Amino acid sequence: MSTLLASQIAAGEVIERPASVVKELVENALDAGATRVAIDLEQGGIELVRVTDDGGGILREDLSLALRPHATSKIDSADDLDRVGTLGFRGEALASMVSVARVAIRSRTAGEDGAWEIEGEGSQVREPRPASGPVGTSVTVRTLFFNTPARRKFLRTMPTEQGRCVDVVKELAIARPAVSFVVTCDGRVTLDLSAGPSPRRRAVEVLGKEIDPELIEVHADDHDAPSGPGGRGSTPMAIWGLVGRPSIARATNKAQHVYLNGRAIRDRVIQHAIMEAYRGLIEPGRYPTAVLLIETSPQAVDVNVHPAKAEVRFRDSSLVHSVVLAAIRRSLREADLTPSGFNTGFGGIGIAAQPQGPGIDRAILPSASPAGGTWDRGDSRPAASPAAFVEFFNRFSPARTPGAALSYDAIRRAVQDGDTPSSSEREPGPPRHDPSGDESSNGVEPPGSLPVPVTAPRLLQVHSSYIVTQDDQGMLIIDQHALHERAMFEYLLARIADRPLERQQLLTPVPVPATAGQVEMLDALQTLLERIGIEAGPLGPTTIGVRTFPSFLFDRGVDPVDFMQGVLCRAEAEGFTPDSEQALRDVLDMMSCKAAVKAGDRMSHEELDHLVRLRTEVERSSNCPHGRPTSIRITVKDLERMFGRS
Amino acid sequence: MKVICDRGALQDAVNLVSGAVAGRTPRVQLTCVKVAAERRDGVGELVLSATDAEISMRVRVSQVDVQQPGETLIPADKLRAIVGAEDADPTLTLDAEAEVCHIRGTDAHFKIFGFPPEDFPPIPDFADVVAGTAQIPKSRGFFSYRAGALDTLVARTLFATARENSRYAINGVLLKREGKRIEMVATDGRRMALSRAAIPSTDKEAKGVSCIIPTKALAQLQKLYRDPDEVVQVAVTDTQVYFSLGSEKDPHRAVLSSNLVEGAFPPYEDVIPKDQDKKVVFDRDAMASAVRRAALLTNEESRGVRLRFNGKQRQLELTSRAPEMGEAQVTVELNSYEGDDIEIGFNPAFIIDVLKVISEQEVVMELKSPNKPGVIKVGSDFLYVVMPVNLQ
Repeated sequence: MSTLLASQIAAGEVIERPASVVKELVENALDAGATRVAIDLEQGGIELVRVTDDGGGILREDLSLALRPHATSKIDSADDLDRVGTLGFRGEALASMVSVARVAIRSRTAGEDGAWEIEGEGSQVREPRPASGPVGTSVTVRTLFFNTPARRKFLRTMPTEQGRCVDVVKELAIARPAVSFVVTCDGRVTLDLSAGPSPRRRAVEVLGKEIDPELIEVHADDHDAPSGPGGRGSTPMAIWGLVGRPSIARATNKAQHVYLNGRAIRDRVIQHAIMEAYRGLIEPGRYPTAVLLIETSPQAVDVNVHPAKAEVRFRDSSLVHSVVLAAIRRSLREADLTPSGFNTGFGGIGIAAQPQGPGIDRAILPSASPAGGTWDRGDSRPAASPAAFVEFFNRFSPARTPGAALSYDAIRRAVQDGDTPSSSEREPGPPRHDPSGDESSNGVEPPGSLPVPVTAPRLLQVHSSYIVTQDDQGMLIIDQHALHERAMFEYLLARIADRPLERQQLLTPVPVPATAGQVEMLDALQTLLERIGIEAGPLGPTTIGVRTFPSFLFDRGVDPVDFMQGVLCRAEAEGFTPDSEQALRDVLDMMSCKAAVKAGDRMSHEELDHLVRLRTEVERSSNCPHGRPTSIRITVKDLERMFGRS
Repeated sequence: MKVICDRGALQDAVNLVSGAVAGRTPRVQLTCVKVAAERRDGVGELVLSATDAEISMRVRVSQVDVQQPGETLIPADKLRAIVGAEDADPTLTLDAEAEVCHIRGTDAHFKIFGFPPEDFPPIPDFADVVAGTAQIPKSRGFFSYRAGALDTLVARTLFATARENSRYAINGVLLKREGKRIEMVATDGRRMALSRAAIPSTDKEAKGVSCIIPTKALAQLQKLYRDPDEVVQVAVTDTQVYFSLGSEKDPHRAVLSSNLVEGAFPPYEDVIPKDQDKKVVFDRDAMASAVRRAALLTNEESRGVRLRFNGKQRQLELTSRAPEMGEAQVTVELNSYEGDDIEIGFNPAFIIDVLKVISEQEVVMELKSPNKPGVIKVGSDFLYVVMPVNLQ
């Protein structure tokens, strides 16, 4: 095998397509300390990729080595591998390119009077010759895969390859706000990121300005790391990042950008930590938007896992997991996660996706009917109609009298730390008059009749299902069931972490019809059932007897037979493992769903008041345990736009 | 139909039959009251009937002057509102023709559009049920009993029924009569109340009878109850139960009928524990007050109150703890205590409920162990089995 062939094969690992060339070259530029990086592409990078930087440059004597394999100035010894601080270090990239393309490097260091240039093509590398140029390096890669037609055939269309190249630059640019990046495609500037903005501004410039209001900052430094078991020592770690509100979660995890010491990585542990932090805030199958810049000591991580270096190996991955999880969770908890009406619907996505100009808003709005199907996310999920919801929940709902529906105090106390909102804040409210629901919402005054004294209720219950109120930003519409369900879930979760739920014993076991498979499964479920206060055993080949049931569920009118069958079906479908946290959450989720106030339940003014207050006191109150939003905000600005006032 | 009636008596009767009026139903007849003016042996009376297809009620008003017999069917809510609002008038005149009913006071006239009275579902006559006719099968059990005694039986059991349980049979109260004994039993799966009484067996027919009566029917029966010395006649068919209340002077003053709850009542004899080895005697009021106070610091899911019996000091200490709220501790002096000390948890509501329906001052409670039922007894006529909660 010739050396050329060997390096051509090896090049396959590093250089797959023009975007890989761009990545390697830009990383080299960044490693050289560049503050300005210009990327020129022709024909999507297939014909030409040129990366020009104002970095340190390459000395004349090193220049000829630069195109040879395993030549690098970035590390000297094996020990250096343990503390790699640069993006590259393998000394493979340029050599790989030479084997599959025509490469020219022109470079000048600060100490030299003029630039030098070297060219290489296939196995031939010429001697450096003098050239003219500023301090810095410019690498030009032409006709990629000119000598490996098979690989060239596998390239996609020009726009696709170009898009990938730009994405690579964007990805790198997020982590380097101090560096300016200019991408020119076939003579046209397609990306122009000037140097020096804040990390947030850089991220927003790259991700899209329209999502700026939906991003929440995340911080953590090594104080936040839980002290590991003795001897391991503390690993210094700092995180800065931006995470999106649940409302802008996407169907893929492409909107997650994770950097470790400035290197973009795809790491399962970190991805899992992100998902975990959003658990219960977004619907299954959706992925939050996140930009995370993680800094840690180079010793704490092995980046030499894969030639493309997208994968890394942490010395202590559970520590990384917990720090990332804690940081994001804290930020989400402290933030107001209520989606605004505009971002969940009302043509909001339309506006966001087409940032052509200010005039577009008004053009889109009138066509977006607020009552119709535009209420969903703008993607494919159809929104259930409110009437269908009422119908759905009514089937489960035991007739409940208002007043018996909620026990807020318990929940409120459980979820808040100390300070109760002062009672003076509460309106005295008209005695025994129920301002909710029908009367107030139906009251369209015929013109000319006497004005009704408006003692505008602070809370309006609409169709016994939704609560309308206001906050300092505008108007809030709350789904009463979803919010109460979330509040109960958080309460139960906290409560069960402390000790199992209180169990009420039954006079005789309540028989629950089951399948033989379910009866068999019962043994494996015992631990889980015990935690939630249920004791059950087989009563026959297809019957399960429930001997104890949580008093809490009894009080909320939940039927043991119904509930048990629900748990068994879920366990069968999901394949619960007894100690799984997920199984516990699933079961608590069912509990809160059954026990929570339903759509269609009328609530007294006081109950409404309590429920709305829970919004601010319960963790993750913005979404129900299934991830649906509990409330939607329409800001005053939204209203102005809808009414054509702005 | 034309009738002049005493407004107060009419209002009482309308309120009573309203208990059987259906709330929302497409069958408008079920939201109405049938008003019938009759003359029996020269004496006029007004009969109000209503039914929601589950239970039916018929109430007689005798303080009337029937000028022309006849009947009408009018919406219950309107009738009730008008009769209630005309409170300045001692009498009201009801005057009906075809489907229109006029209600007149001294200064008011209401014209109500009703429905053809023939459309109202027929409610069998009590006497026909007892005797049996061609259309109505003869009852399989019949007895009469003192109203006051039956009311006590109902009051001591009704509170313990289940609400909307999937085991339908326990959504009602079991009524069982055998020879000289009558028994009512109710349970919601967590506690069971059993009340017994002796029944004078003057009836020729001493055949036993047992049926499950829906909670709602018994609640309405309690409302119909007026005088302990009245007589209640009870007739049970295969699918229904009939109660007729009245005195000798005023027989069949009110009749209530109800569909029976289908299904088998749980074998309640089996859950009565026989080997309790601890016996407590306490004062009803002292205990009720103590439990009520201890319950102040419980919440929805830390419901239980801990009962700690101390035999040596003849004391009971009740404690409660709601993790986020606080703790309570109340002490009760016991009249007597036999057996080892014990600690057991109960849902306080279950204790308070039963103490409310006990009229005796001295109450006995028997226990065995913290995860075995407690039994509350008064004399030999009342027994209450209550399951503990496992406090953590």
